[in-house]
Amino acid sequence: MEIWRKLCELDNVAIALRDLDAGSEVLIDGERIVLIDNIRFGHKFAIKPIKSGEKVIKYCEVIGVATRDIHQGEHVHIHNLRSLRAVKVND
Amino acid sequence: MELKGFWTADNTVGIRNRVGVISLSVFSNVATQRISNAVEGTIALIHPHGRAEIGVNRERLHHNLIGHALNPNLQSVLLVGYEAKTTERYTQELRARTKKRIESVTVLELGTIDAVRVGTKLALELSSESSEVTREPMDFADLTVGVKCGSSDATSGIASNPAVGVAVDKIVNHGGKAIFSETTEVLGAEHILAKRAINQVVASKIVTAVKNNENLALSLGVDLMGVNPVPDNIEGGISTIEEKSLGAIRKTGTSKIQDVLQLGQLPKSPGLYFLDYPSAAQEVLTALASTGCQVILFSTGLGNPSGTPVCPVIKVTGNERTMKRIPEHIDVDVSEIITLNRTYEEAGDKIFQYLIKVINGKLTKSELLKHNEFSPVPVGL
Repeated sequence: MEIWRKLCELDNVAIALRDLDAGSEVLIDGERIVLIDNIRFGHKFAIKPIKSGEKVIKYCEVIGVATRDIHQGEHVHIHNLRSLRAVKVND
Repeated sequence: MELKGFWTADNTVGIRNRVGVISLSVFSNVATQRISNAVEGTIALIHPHGRAEIGVNRERLHHNLIGHALNPNLQSVLLVGYEAKTTERYTQELRARTKKRIESVTVLELGTIDAVRVGTKLALELSSESSEVTREPMDFADLTVGVKCGSSDATSGIASNPAVGVAVDKIVNHGGKAIFSETTEVLGAEHILAKRAINQVVASKIVTAVKNNENLALSLGVDLMGVNPVPDNIEGGISTIEEKSLGAIRKTGTSKIQDVLQLGQLPKSPGLYFLDYPSAAQEVLTALASTGCQVILFSTGLGNPSGTPVCPVIKVTGNERTMKRIPEHIDVDVSEIITLNRTYEEAGDKIFQYLIKVINGKLTKSELLKHNEFSPVPVGL
């Protein structure tokens, strides 16, 4: 069984297909990535460094923008990623 | 692959033959429930509305009540109204629009006790008549299937939604109709759906529906963050509305989109349609049943239990843990897409075969557990 899946070639995140522990290693696109956080089943981690303000890509589509620098192997979720849609202007 | 259903007086075909006992107002709910409890073969549609709604809420309530009465899964209908004027208005409108038998009883005229007595006699007559109807051959061309996802997690976008999408393609390829909805959950993915529109007019309707929805949120001074995705989505790993939408639209398959429907409009020809409607699961199930769907495919990572009083709802999960934890909410398990790397085609075929069984009479988990929720006035986005 796969333990992670990158859904589309342009993605900068992958999905854990089981609970993965911080410190474990995954090999993605020939690159060895060490997970910085525990990544729960179904959650995302960065497979490339993502700068604050940079778009986060899944399914080869924009799912939002990084609200701070995200390291490779770090959990990507509501603490460092936010929507670009239906967001109040002064937000 | 023979399909059999119950033909109605309207020359439509139901996959169930129930008698609907429909409450027109919060004050007729008690009578409605008692009448339905008393008579086998009937189903109660109760809700807390029907008094002093205005504008879009009033229209949606009207379309949902009428749409349910017209649904082919109901052979006939007993309306249980509160006051005479509204009861008469619904009775006359329905009698003009359907050849199915429409009866009514009014609580304020008779009092609850006598309304139950009179209504029970009428329901007994209707149910006795409908029990004579037997299953006869039908075709996919007679079928409208709703498509929905709810209590989604990350497995929804990568397993159950794409598998449901394969089943939806099969339904359309067999000459059936399919309808998806949830405008808020197209937000961030409308450019992909617009490319699948049959023409530029429909493409522009899709984009406009989503834009109007987004503007409505903004005009109310609210931010979708913290509202949608909902807490169970976030727990399951979905971070933003775009991510949720991009996963959600995979349940629609690959067919061309024939048109954008508003509540009260029915799809006229075979193919896939988008119903522009708010996104909360129960409200969408209600709206799909009002739009002529006889059955609904429902993809759920976390195991949503919801049903409707008139449409069987088939739950599909791609989450192995959900299947182990609450199998009583799930009809089709496609978690092998993740655990054994099975293809979407295999999983989609499994859903399609199950759909045929349900059309021919197999009860879904939502039916077995009597999840008969009816929610005709959405208040959220």
